[in-house]
Amino acid sequence: MRRRRRRYRPIPRYSEASVNVTPLIDVVMVLIVFFMLVARIGISTGAEAMTLPSTLTGVKIEDLGNTLTLNVHYENLPQPQVMALIGGEMHELPISDGRGNQPLMETLKAFRERNRDFKVILRAPKSMPYSYLEPILQACAQAAVKNVNFSTEVRMEEVRP
Amino acid sequence: MKLNIARNVHYESGPNMTPLVDIVMVILIFLMLAGSFGGAEHFLTSNLPLAQKGLSNAPPPPGWVPDEPLEIRVDPVGDGFRATAGVIRASDAATLTLQLENMRDQFNHAGTATNKIQVIIIPAKNVQYDHLIKVYESALNAKFEKVAFATAHD
Repeated sequence: MRRRRRRYRPIPRYSEASVNVTPLIDVVMVLIVFFMLVARIGISTGAEAMTLPSTLTGVKIEDLGNTLTLNVHYENLPQPQVMALIGGEMHELPISDGRGNQPLMETLKAFRERNRDFKVILRAPKSMPYSYLEPILQACAQAAVKNVNFSTEVRMEEVRP
Repeated sequence: MKLNIARNVHYESGPNMTPLVDIVMVILIFLMLAGSFGGAEHFLTSNLPLAQKGLSNAPPPPGWVPDEPLEIRVDPVGDGFRATAGVIRASDAATLTLQLENMRDQFNHAGTATNKIQVIIIPAKNVQYDHLIKVYESALNAKFEKVAFATAHD
């Protein structure tokens, strides 16, 4: 007679109860790579928030180190108020200070003499009249700044008749 | 009797991911807080921001041919604008682009290369910057290479 082997009931396995973090790491790593590619850390151009005109066409400026961003304000002012980030601080650069000096033109001239590739980025509200823009363009021309870039928002749709 | 209990205990073996997750989360939060994102902005570039006359007394070099000027007057009309230049009459960017393209073709057929045409936008003092940018963009879209603003007309 065949002897039947006695079977023991298996003892339940001990398994460590823990959260599976692998999908979390996957997602977080993707986010980190995204932020590293897209974010610009430590670059501040001094651009102030304002309602810019929108355009379909336009170029990106890669070498922001050669640029000076001029933020133009005009509301309730007799002449445009130009603000720029110079030396890590925002400075007002008046067209004329009333004593015969032209701080905006002189600043642009100094930048231009130090750097031949110097560019100006102009940010102005879309509703600003041309009478406020004209003296700034004149200051650029007098300072021999040839490269002026009008900052605009990207318009997505195209309207053609 | 020998019990076979301890042999079947399973220990999970593998790297401890907790420090990695900690560091990765710190990096992620740092990047989210410290990074600034370029908004949806781009630039219309001008290599001659303001066309001025009579700045230099130097004689032009021999053989120099002055650029053919194409002057576009821009006036405010209600909430919009009106751009006029010869036969061009436009009050929106798309129409202006088409008319400027036709004008450029006429210049080219007449033997004037596009890079010898100087487009000069002459706005009124109270024209909005938004409308000027539309005119400027229209000139660029019409493939003009030299576009500048002039001092305001009366």
